[in-house]
Amino acid sequence: MFRKLLSIIVVVSLVAGMLLPLTAFAQDNATCATAQDSYTIGFANLTEDIVFTQLVRDGILSAAEEAGNVEVVLADNRLDGATALANADNFIAQGVDGVIEFQTDEAFGNVIMSRFRREGIPVIAIDIPMPGATFFGADNYNAGRLAGEALAAWVNENWDGDVDALLVLELPQSGPIPAARMQGQIEGLQDNLTVPVAEDMIFLLDSKNTQEESFQVVSDILPTIPDAEHIVAVTINDGTALGVIAAAEAAGRADQIMVVGQGADPSGQEAMLAENSRYLGATGYFAENYGSYLIPAMLDLLECRPVPPAIYVDHVFINKDNLCEYYGESWPDACPVS
Amino acid sequence: MRSVQMRSVQEIASLVVMLVIIVVVMSAASPVFFTTRNLENTLLDITTVGILAIFTTMLMIGGGLDLSIGSTLALGGVIVGVYQEAWGILPAAGAAILVCGLVGLINGFLVTYVGINPLITTLGMLSIARGVAFVLADGLTIPVFDLQGTQTDAYTLFTQFGEGRVLGLDTPVAVMLALFVLALLVMQFTPYGRAMYAIGGNYQASNLAGLAVRRYRMIAYMLSGLSAGVACVLLTSRLYAADPRAATGMELTVITAAVLGGISLAGGKGTLIGTMLGVLILSALMNGMKLLSTSTDAQNIALGLVLLLAVGLDQIRQRNFNIMRFLRSSRLVPEVARVSPAEGSQS
Repeated sequence: MFRKLLSIIVVVSLVAGMLLPLTAFAQDNATCATAQDSYTIGFANLTEDIVFTQLVRDGILSAAEEAGNVEVVLADNRLDGATALANADNFIAQGVDGVIEFQTDEAFGNVIMSRFRREGIPVIAIDIPMPGATFFGADNYNAGRLAGEALAAWVNENWDGDVDALLVLELPQSGPIPAARMQGQIEGLQDNLTVPVAEDMIFLLDSKNTQEESFQVVSDILPTIPDAEHIVAVTINDGTALGVIAAAEAAGRADQIMVVGQGADPSGQEAMLAENSRYLGATGYFAENYGSYLIPAMLDLLECRPVPPAIYVDHVFINKDNLCEYYGESWPDACPVS
Repeated sequence: MRSVQMRSVQEIASLVVMLVIIVVVMSAASPVFFTTRNLENTLLDITTVGILAIFTTMLMIGGGLDLSIGSTLALGGVIVGVYQEAWGILPAAGAAILVCGLVGLINGFLVTYVGINPLITTLGMLSIARGVAFVLADGLTIPVFDLQGTQTDAYTLFTQFGEGRVLGLDTPVAVMLALFVLALLVMQFTPYGRAMYAIGGNYQASNLAGLAVRRYRMIAYMLSGLSAGVACVLLTSRLYAADPRAATGMELTVITAAVLGGISLAGGKGTLIGTMLGVLILSALMNGMKLLSTSTDAQNIALGLVLLLAVGLDQIRQRNFNIMRFLRSSRLVPEVARVSPAEGSQS
């Protein structure tokens, strides 16, 4: 009798033990006010005019489709604060459950976030931090440093560490975040060169984030340094890097320059693969993969699972030697399937 | 005179029909479109364009044109941002409005007294104002906050310009409506309004008739600048930030709305009610397309098509286009139609 009673107690305890976590899960779900079967997520893109942001958008749409229970509502912030605010109001009117914000300027973050906070809508901010939002994006300083170090290694190997001039194609108007990217490139280069570039031979040039402006400012600066035979350039993105190379080619000085950039988007990849390319490579941001981080992170937020306050992209310096490893499918001629 | 009024009524009626069609189509396509919240958002969004369009209309009726309003607005915003600490937020806002008015006055002086083409003058000013805004702001967006904590009451009042409510309306909407009513009264019931129609309709005749054409036009340019000042204060207050890139390209949206609303590029024709309907049509179209997640390219194409449609309609209006006359001249209808008694009353 006693043995039978003991068996019953053991069986009941085991069953209860197995059910307990399920009960706890059910309680978690019950207390998570934002958890649902399906979600509508708003994505406000920085702009729809550049390759990088188009890749981000496409990646988000793919990840949402893969998730199966996410509908994405799209908006374009058009690099404008007022438009970003209007889009935020539109998202709220549409009753979105969560928002992924890729907007232009930290200064607009407060007012946009105040709208979402009032409605209890969780937000993930891409690249530009916003108060109260989970940050996702580039680890700007380290991303820059990777490119600077790669450039220094190439110079040490090919030019005996000798650099006559350093062109820095920056973007001052966008403030401290891209500035960190540029600082990382300069320090990564200077710290690893056999002989650091003299301060008076470092030229800070405003690229205005465009290939045309980059071409113009470099075309203007090259005639002022006629004796420089070893010139290196660090740039804010692939487009500005291509502008530098085009300017050097136009001046007949392509063999005197080597350039690194940030992004490694398709235009940059093509330049890296060109014969006698002066584009050494670029730090990869893998914009096409942003969605595969962002959508799961947003679902975690909505279902009350823990999410770190900042999620960083894993950067890799992409050059013609490792490009096939990451983007082989995009370049079938250059990357034959082994 | 009666036929002119009839034509205006017909134009306004056709704009109302166009607006209703857009609202019905967009409401059917998106359940969010015709909700109180979205309509409130849409009204709030059009305030900047609306305020600029009111005074652009007055200017265009008088035969003028101002392409610099977007840049002037950005310059005003930057003045608020840069001088908020040194002068206090409210004096800085006042100074911004005055500077914008001064920009308009310079435009007016160059156009009316120096005789430079309005397109060239205001295109030049567009570049100058934007450039000065970038220089003052050092290319950066400036947060508008009480960082020192010494002007709490003033900042509270300032933020009410953008975020507060008056008579149940958002303050920017209330300001826009008040300016609209004021401008409507001026254009309909004052000698200034009648003079602007006369000057835009026939500059030489107005001059010979003794109207102070230069002064009236200069006032219109100054009002255009002042409207950019008012809009910049409202926008800066809403965004808590001053952006030297603000309102880039907005002049085109404003002119599109005005021309769509019946304002003639040649001057002398159109009404403020038409312009406001033009603004509403554009904003309803853009808002609906946004709610449907339409791509930016498609939105730009739609805006371009509306601009072409509006300018095309303006050209037709200017030529006093008569479809029957066109068909007759093309010999697409029989000769007998030429004796129609209605024809005489059309011209």
